[in-house]
Amino acid sequence: MGRSFASSLNTQGARRSFAQETVSFTYIDPTGEEFPVEAEGGKHLLDVAHDNNIELEGACGGELACSTCHLVFEEKIYDKLPPMSEEEEDMLDLAFELTDTSRLGCQIQVTKDLEGMTVRIPDDGY
Amino acid sequence: MIVEGSNLIIEKLPKIRTRTVRSWTPVRAPDIVGLARSRALRRCPGRELAPRSLPVSADRTCHWCHSTVSATAITHLRCFSAENTDVSQPRLSVAVVGAGPSGFYTSKYLTSAVLHRIEKANDRNDKRDEGDAPALAPFDWSGIDIDILERLPTPYGLVRYGVAPDHPEVKNVEHDFAAQFETSNNNPSSSLSFFGGVEVGKDVKLSALQSMYDVVVLAYGCQAADRRLNIPGEDLEGVLSAREFVAWYNGHPEFGHIGTIVKECLWGSSDICDVDDDQVSTAKVVVVGQGNVALDVARILAKGKRGLIETDTPSSVLEILKGGASHVSILGRRGHVQGAFTIKGDSHRTMLRAKELRELTKLNKEGHNAKLIIRRGELELGMNDSSVAELKGASGRPKTRIDILLRDSAVSETDNPKDEAPKTVCLRFLLSPTSIEAKDSDGGRVGGVVCERTRLEGGPFKQNSVSTGEIETLPADLVLTSIGYKGMPLEGMKGRDQFDHQQSVVNNLHGKVTGDNNLFASGWIKRGPSGIIGTNIMDAKDTVKSIMMFIEENGRVRDEKDGRRGLEKYLEAHETVPIRWENFQAIEVAETDPARLRNDAQPREKILQITEMESIAGILKQ
Repeated sequence: MGRSFASSLNTQGARRSFAQETVSFTYIDPTGEEFPVEAEGGKHLLDVAHDNNIELEGACGGELACSTCHLVFEEKIYDKLPPMSEEEEDMLDLAFELTDTSRLGCQIQVTKDLEGMTVRIPDDGY
Repeated sequence: MIVEGSNLIIEKLPKIRTRTVRSWTPVRAPDIVGLARSRALRRCPGRELAPRSLPVSADRTCHWCHSTVSATAITHLRCFSAENTDVSQPRLSVAVVGAGPSGFYTSKYLTSAVLHRIEKANDRNDKRDEGDAPALAPFDWSGIDIDILERLPTPYGLVRYGVAPDHPEVKNVEHDFAAQFETSNNNPSSSLSFFGGVEVGKDVKLSALQSMYDVVVLAYGCQAADRRLNIPGEDLEGVLSAREFVAWYNGHPEFGHIGTIVKECLWGSSDICDVDDDQVSTAKVVVVGQGNVALDVARILAKGKRGLIETDTPSSVLEILKGGASHVSILGRRGHVQGAFTIKGDSHRTMLRAKELRELTKLNKEGHNAKLIIRRGELELGMNDSSVAELKGASGRPKTRIDILLRDSAVSETDNPKDEAPKTVCLRFLLSPTSIEAKDSDGGRVGGVVCERTRLEGGPFKQNSVSTGEIETLPADLVLTSIGYKGMPLEGMKGRDQFDHQQSVVNNLHGKVTGDNNLFASGWIKRGPSGIIGTNIMDAKDTVKSIMMFIEENGRVRDEKDGRRGLEKYLEAHETVPIRWENFQAIEVAETDPARLRNDAQPREKILQITEMESIAGILKQ
């Protein structure tokens, strides 16, 4: 039988409703060009980049099987992000120019915490 | 014609202006005017600008969304449509040899670089009309046509025949590659075409390609050969390279014979039909090397048929694997710290990665009846002062995580983990194979691997493994060498000049092949067989920069190249029938046909014979 409604609420009751939020922030590409965006709450940063025609590869389609959507955050924003899973950390180990405030764009959802931030797409290394 | 109240949406990126049009007017560049069939707002990715004026008096086709709108009605104006057919300017013709990740990424980034350059040229020219910007050097081409040539009927290279079947998410990149046909061909200034079943060097000479196309990019990878151990006994029966083993379990049409060898090693002379699905082979397997390929093969051997039943592993492979192997050893010549992956690792060194290691630690928990064993003593042996230093600093972070992961799984000599599970995977360090011995009972078949215990010497990041003289012989019924793929020159590559036989790569500088030619290189054949799928992204961008420099410098010094037309005529004259993209789609449909699958979860049942692929693709070959 399926899970009871009550037990579903227990695990999901704490989840925020993202739908109403629209958050503004800026991507910076490796050349330094800025791309301000208006993003829908709950969307992943990789999808937001694609929606705005910003060049950010997501080779594995967001399934934690690559590190091509590597993004670098400002420290104060990084500290507010949800904790990294082991799987994400394993993939980040493979990323170029890894920093102490790096995360994978496919794992970070838009929330009000990101309002006004600047997120950097790191250089490829050539 | 009067159109009242319609909104003309003029996109001049990045801002969007709107104004209402009351009548037909010629629309001037750089305004971008598009015509859309439906009222639904569709976002078109185009950034192309219009040439001069656009008299809207005839049926127009939007080049981005391909909708046609009759001249009698303007509905929504979204994207740009223009017939910029300046016939005096031909299109850049490019041949890419190899349809793996490097070929696709190079095509993707070269297309966008050329389109961007065309846009800049048009943009500046328009601004010049308004007296703004200084003239930009004209761009000699009005578009780009890329032909991807592939030896096999199927594209995707190692994504299809290298990535382990239990890593389906890694194969997602195929969607991105397939989408490029759509994106490219939806743009009037670019096109992408697939020519499968065409081997450069055999079906078409490299020199012929070079004369037919403006640019030829070599992206054919390093699947032709293996790095050899160069120790006695390497050619005994039962010694294979991991490359061959991987190609076999991934259903590569040229490696079916490996199945017979594996069957003999695992089951001897038993009839495979008499072997139970869950029966575990008592064969001992020794894998030499600790890179991700080595860990993949160990994991596949540990999982066996039951563990792989819902993957795209071909059914005939599962019939040979059955319950898997009872004992797999994975040998590393150096310590675990040296073997651990770092992004700046040397290409020929083995590289332990956290992801695959973690998977091995979870094998038992996930019900595969296989336990990972690491000897604590061997971890300690490798932790000299230099190794401790190597764990520090920025490059030390991934190594430290691997050190922790290994320590958590390590056992001491007194533990008896073999009691916990019928199958064991043993990660061994500081052991270097010196020879492969034959079986006592059969002098032509492998019986064991003789190894020397090594010791680390040297400063941090400069440590070498030296022999201690202590010998350990590991019994082996199957040996898989996993110390690197190796590239080979294409037939027709000029002697030693264009191919570096030491490094087994094409001689190149940032992707430009040395010499006075129009040859470029991308991927493993350019930089060596290292890195993951994503590594090809920056590699391709590097090559694309070199290509753009080359075409800007040389301009169009020759007459327009024959390109695709030329190739098609050439192949016809040589009676070679290529497999085009739609033919490949027929193969995809056949492989994913539910009637063909062993269960609902299996993604596809690969076709294992080239002749069968050709017949499904509708190709009749000589």
